[in-house]
Amino acid sequence: MKDEITNLRAQVVAQIEASSDLAEIENIRANYLGKNGKLTKLVKRINEVPKEEKKEVGLLINETKNTILAILSQQKNDLKETSRIWFDPTIPGKKPQTGSLHLMTQAIEEVANIFTKIGFVRMRYPEVEWDYFAFEALNFDHDHPARDEWETFFVDASAHPKLGKMLLTPHTSNGQVREMLRVKTPPVRMINIAKCYRRQSDASHYPMFHQFEGLVVDEGISIAHLKGTVDYFMTAFYGEDRQARLRPYNFPFTEPSFEIDISCDICSGRGCKVCKEGWLELGGAGMVHPNVLRHGGIDPVKYSGFAFGWGVERVMMMKPGLGINDLRTIYSTDLRYLKQF
Amino acid sequence: MNIKITYSWLLEHLKTKAGPQKIAEVLSLCGPSVERMERRGKDWVYDIEVTTNRVDAMSVFGIAREAAAILPMFGIKAKAKPLKLKRQETVKSYPDFTIKNDPKLIHRIMGVVIEDIQNWKSPDWMKQRLLASGIRSLNSVVDITNYVMTEIGHPTHVFDFDKIRTGGFVIREAKKGEKIISLEGKEYSLPGGDIVIARADGEIIDLPGIIGTKNSVVSENTKRVLFFLDNNDPVRIRRTSMSLGIRTVAATLNEKGVDPYLGETAILRGIELFSEVCGANKIRKIIDIFPKKSVMTKVKVEKEFIELRLGVGLSKKEISKILNPLELATKWRGNVLEVTPPSFRINDIRIPEDVVEEVARIYGYHNLPSKLMAGELPQKPLGMPFEFEHGVKQILKELGGNEVYTESLVRQNMAGKRALALANPLGEDTGYIRTSLKPSLIKAVKGNVGAFEKYHLFEMANVHLPRPAGLARTGSLPEEKQLLAGIFYGYDWRVAKGVVETLFEELGIKVDVRVLNDGKYEVNKAITLSVEEKKIGQLGVILGTELIYYEFEADVLRAHYSVVKRYKPISKYPAQIEDITFVLPQKTLINEFIDSVKTVKFVEKVELGTIYKNAYTFRVWYQNPKKTLDNNEVRGIRERILLRVKNKFGGVIKD
Repeated sequence: MKDEITNLRAQVVAQIEASSDLAEIENIRANYLGKNGKLTKLVKRINEVPKEEKKEVGLLINETKNTILAILSQQKNDLKETSRIWFDPTIPGKKPQTGSLHLMTQAIEEVANIFTKIGFVRMRYPEVEWDYFAFEALNFDHDHPARDEWETFFVDASAHPKLGKMLLTPHTSNGQVREMLRVKTPPVRMINIAKCYRRQSDASHYPMFHQFEGLVVDEGISIAHLKGTVDYFMTAFYGEDRQARLRPYNFPFTEPSFEIDISCDICSGRGCKVCKEGWLELGGAGMVHPNVLRHGGIDPVKYSGFAFGWGVERVMMMKPGLGINDLRTIYSTDLRYLKQF
Repeated sequence: MNIKITYSWLLEHLKTKAGPQKIAEVLSLCGPSVERMERRGKDWVYDIEVTTNRVDAMSVFGIAREAAAILPMFGIKAKAKPLKLKRQETVKSYPDFTIKNDPKLIHRIMGVVIEDIQNWKSPDWMKQRLLASGIRSLNSVVDITNYVMTEIGHPTHVFDFDKIRTGGFVIREAKKGEKIISLEGKEYSLPGGDIVIARADGEIIDLPGIIGTKNSVVSENTKRVLFFLDNNDPVRIRRTSMSLGIRTVAATLNEKGVDPYLGETAILRGIELFSEVCGANKIRKIIDIFPKKSVMTKVKVEKEFIELRLGVGLSKKEISKILNPLELATKWRGNVLEVTPPSFRINDIRIPEDVVEEVARIYGYHNLPSKLMAGELPQKPLGMPFEFEHGVKQILKELGGNEVYTESLVRQNMAGKRALALANPLGEDTGYIRTSLKPSLIKAVKGNVGAFEKYHLFEMANVHLPRPAGLARTGSLPEEKQLLAGIFYGYDWRVAKGVVETLFEELGIKVDVRVLNDGKYEVNKAITLSVEEKKIGQLGVILGTELIYYEFEADVLRAHYSVVKRYKPISKYPAQIEDITFVLPQKTLINEFIDSVKTVKFVEKVELGTIYKNAYTFRVWYQNPKKTLDNNEVRGIRERILLRVKNKFGGVIKD
């Protein structure tokens, strides 16, 4: 019996060591230690053992059982360790290919949202336009420099008998009289964001650019309303810590006319290389000239209004942190630039 | 336009205790804007922007007048100091010298012959002031003309009197092609209609208001000069100056219409300097030809009108106190104010709104309240495209597209056959208004080859299509059509088409496709997309390339897209799904095949899976909305499919 036990132990140990998965180990356990296991059967035969050997055999059986149990759990752990699949959760992810919206689209959307929130209606007017809506109706003198061939692009097409030459609109203000004629009776509260064209090209000018034009006409509209609207836009677009100021200026279609400045974010208004004594020019504005209201069929005695027209690129480039200093960069089609926004 | 002047020069014309910084600050807020100020020794140089309507402020004296009106509003005493100038002619006018004017061309001519120029060297103070103003010192005689212009604001000129004495002056229009040689020695051919001064024999001896000519210029041997001033037609000055590209300070002032009444001050100040600097004492009698005096007009404005525009209340006294230092005379009749502008503002102060501007700016825009509009809101017109446009862009972005903005102005071979041309382009590259986005997008794609393996660029922009000849004559603007276009580089056809299909799915537009062979795309590698039989655009492999291009009319897409998506109830009974592989004859159009199979009853959906040679695997969803299909029923449907495939397409199931 002693030999039987010793053989059995050697057999089990060999089997356990050769086992390669947990199911096999469980089989081995059942085979030897289970209800009808080989070792269990040996235990049942303990009475066959002579009396004097009983104690010794009993100890041997116990020792064998413990040994098997110990090796079993050891092997179980070893197997668990090796069967675990190596996994690196810090590995770089695979990104889906996403695209990008152009910087201009994002800026236009932001500007539009700011104004539509306070009741401005977004409109759109022709890019190829008649002189009448771009200049004549806006009170430009016939000899105004903007009307000559050095500043505005004219189209090689026959002129309109009443509306004059065909041109590429040099500003979004061409929508002013068109909007008044559309609405007929104030209130007018319009925002027009569109492409414009001027005959110039350098770091701060591009022949094609975008403007946004605001026009408000109603009874009792004053400079205070223009100031309020400008302040609201500044805070919404640039944040609380930038100041705006109005400076006297001159445009044919507004009277009084202003230039709007914003405090420089680089020097916080103290004056630096980039700005003009602490201020950056944002764009023009003014109270709608009575002649313009008349051309729009609106009585300048009963109604008054204000308008502003600013470059989208310029306004956007003045956002701190953007880091684009050359207007021409904006219209690059280089994907290395496009993918950044 | 900008003018540079020093603080010390300004103080010669302005009595105030305000420091240089304070003056800069208040001028910017209420008057001409001080763009920069710079230290120069003990002095300061201001760089001031003056708006084109305020040519009267383009001088040291003009700025002093503005400062004198503005500073008191900030509680600082200030007063302009007008020059005390006396006529000091010593001898009568030169006997045989004649001037024949054309009052259409020159509004006022003033001149004086100064006979004994002694000193040709400018004193240091004059040189330095001119230098600070950005003007190079040449000699005392020329420097005096520039000094007077900067100080007083009226351009002046000086001739070598002995070079021009005998011929006299004839003011006339130039004929096209007449030549001049400028005092710098450059030859110009005149465009015609320019104001010129000629001798009796016809030779041009000056391009007045713009630049002097070589044949009448002073030199250091000159003993006698004609100090001269011409107040001319601003429109002609601009035309000549711009077309010849001669942008002198004199020209930029003259093209804005200088006050002719300033002439006298300028001439007298000049004479003063000639005797002081050049030691000249033999001053001939001043010639003054001033045929048409300006007409002064009064502007009437109600007190309430001013207050309503400003949004604040003001007393009559406050209003007058603001206007008077600007030399605007005021007279109240009840609550109506009568304003008489001075000669140097008559082109600028014409309507009540002009008076409002003067009151508002001097009162200070910074002192006005800031408030948003109350009152009724305008009605939002229906059918505006903005949300749709942004939605489309957003979808394409999500599908991996990169939006670009390309130029609307292109060279002729990129514009399309009937494209409109510009009459005055900046260059050949931007001479035409495009009729398609395709060439621009191809160009954009090519610029990125090598940097990325595959990409998809898209753009939404207007193109301009000329009207047919008849309509153009009746005066219609070109058709402005917004296009949505995109281009794929390195994309497999099915992947690119999948992007376009997803776009339409997202927009809720159901499109039909048909093979397109129009010669612009590779043979059999393009499709026309249509909605309800109406063509809406194309997708295809551009001829001679592997680029896949699509173009749609934005308005047509918008007309068909569904703002609100309709809910389709989800069936309670699950679908049976099965993959079937068919062997199909060559040139079978799979889209047509799927459409056909889908019409078999209880076939809910069919999708193309893998393709191996001519074996196409499809995933088929069988579904009855009213019950769960059992295997027998599915078998029945499958048999109907097989029959359809066999009869219509000649295809068989693969074993």
